[in-house]
Amino acid sequence: MSTETSAASAQFERVLKLADLPAGSKKAVEINGKCVLVCNVNSKLFAISNICSHNEKPLERGRLGNGWIACPTHGARFDLATGAALNLPAKLPVATFEVRTTDEWIEVLV
Amino acid sequence: MSDTIKLADLKKGEARCPGAPSTQDIIAADKVAAPGWVRSESYQFLGDEDISKDRYIDPAYAKKEITSLWAKTWQFACREEHIPSVGDYHVYDLGPYSFIITRVAENDIRAYYNACLHRGTKLRASGTEGNAEEFKCSFHGWTWNIDGTHKETLCPWDFPHVEFKKLTLPEAKVERLGGFVFINMDKDAPTLAEYLGPAAKSHIDAWKLENRYIYLHVSKRLPCNWKLAIDAFLEAYHVIETHPQVAPSNGDANTQYDVYGEHVNRFISPLGVVSPHLYGKISEQDVLNQFTLGDSSAMGDTKLSVKDGGTARAVMAEMFRGMFEKATNTDLSKVSDSELLDCFSYTVFPNIFLFPGISLPMIYRFRPDPRDHRKCIYEVLFMRPLPLDGNRPMPAEPIHLEDHQSFCEAEGMDPGFGAILDQDTDNLILQQEGLEASAKPGLTLGNYQEIRVRHFERAVDKYVKPNS
Repeated sequence: MSTETSAASAQFERVLKLADLPAGSKKAVEINGKCVLVCNVNSKLFAISNICSHNEKPLERGRLGNGWIACPTHGARFDLATGAALNLPAKLPVATFEVRTTDEWIEVLV
Repeated sequence: MSDTIKLADLKKGEARCPGAPSTQDIIAADKVAAPGWVRSESYQFLGDEDISKDRYIDPAYAKKEITSLWAKTWQFACREEHIPSVGDYHVYDLGPYSFIITRVAENDIRAYYNACLHRGTKLRASGTEGNAEEFKCSFHGWTWNIDGTHKETLCPWDFPHVEFKKLTLPEAKVERLGGFVFINMDKDAPTLAEYLGPAAKSHIDAWKLENRYIYLHVSKRLPCNWKLAIDAFLEAYHVIETHPQVAPSNGDANTQYDVYGEHVNRFISPLGVVSPHLYGKISEQDVLNQFTLGDSSAMGDTKLSVKDGGTARAVMAEMFRGMFEKATNTDLSKVSDSELLDCFSYTVFPNIFLFPGISLPMIYRFRPDPRDHRKCIYEVLFMRPLPLDGNRPMPAEPIHLEDHQSFCEAEGMDPGFGAILDQDTDNLILQQEGLEASAKPGLTLGNYQEIRVRHFERAVDKYVKPNS
């Protein structure tokens, strides 16, 4: 598990309008060179690396479940809150990012 | 004339709890009448000989069951809500078997044997879900389309001996009923409707369980053979000794038992009435106070009382409807008192219990532990009616308890219900060990209250054929 918030230079970046991410949806964005997937699940927002730790394939076409996303390529699932790998073939976590809303904007700490 | 003389005049299986109203008598007195599937009886005497104990304690018997029973019967694999969209899949594991249950089109669900046709790697890990546009093996990348046809092989020039067009993923049979997805590995299996029989199927159709969703899902390994675990839930005979806290509000000894064909049986255990074992010892208010719910979170902090001359059952029926409607945002105006209050327990052989009632709205599933015939995997799923706004909530994620944990530790579990399951679990390890220690070769069953055990084990015998 790793939350990429500790770097001194990290700051919240506006990435999406809240209205553009309806419940149950996700959107991939690039922020300062990082591929981040922003997800809206059960009225909670999550920001997670868009790259599967198993085979480096994008997660953005994967299924969102109750608190997880499944990689569409080989089925590895990751905890949206912690980034932990939940099942094989992944064992390593993916990065997660702090997320907040300000003035109807979704902001991610990168 | 004494009860003893009367009982002696009865044929085997005709005796019922003396001095107590029948379940049908209790239901007939309710204010809102019950539907036909409730107001019927289908008991059948099936013999009174002991049943052999080897089925519970012999590892060779357990091994035989895998190929002769589990590979030949219809079993509950997942709910349709686990795979709502095209491409969604849910991995169902049974013993050494594993299947990818996949929605290939809106009304086309397949069950693929979960193994790559190259060198056998599972295409998806056990116990997982997801969505796939293709199934790609994580070992060498051999790939299949979601309709099971072969899509791609790395370096096909090295496999001139393989006819890729014929390399489709093998499938088990799939049928859907009431929002449940059933599979059967036997290509010659009867249809699910034939397997259930017309009476049982008409009951299941009437419940419309497709209009419910999984509110809570808890899984735990139990310390006994899978059949011992199932048998424990097939009767209310054990309530007074094992769950004495429940008896004040449970008609245990006058519970009704029915069998339907070879694969379905049920009991109707009336709630909100005192156990015949406790007649004259407790009041109607005591009955009300002890009423145990499987889903008491819908009740909030409401406290009820019985007026003079009233009954706890009538009070509960009157109050339940409104409170459950409010708590779950559903319309229960046409639902009978019995459906609101009573415990309806149906078993579809071999692995599912359906409880279509409102206060006890569970599904149980039992599976053998492939590594240990003295262990099994038990799941309890609580179902609620869909909200009136039509939005189907996502099914609850399974909570996997460790062997040592109490069911009460599962977040969302009603403490009273969790305590009941813990009491059952404690009995089961003692029963498993006791059968292994016993000098007696079989188990003795009551003719009426344990008819579901006999019926279930007859089905086991049918498939396993112990003398073959």
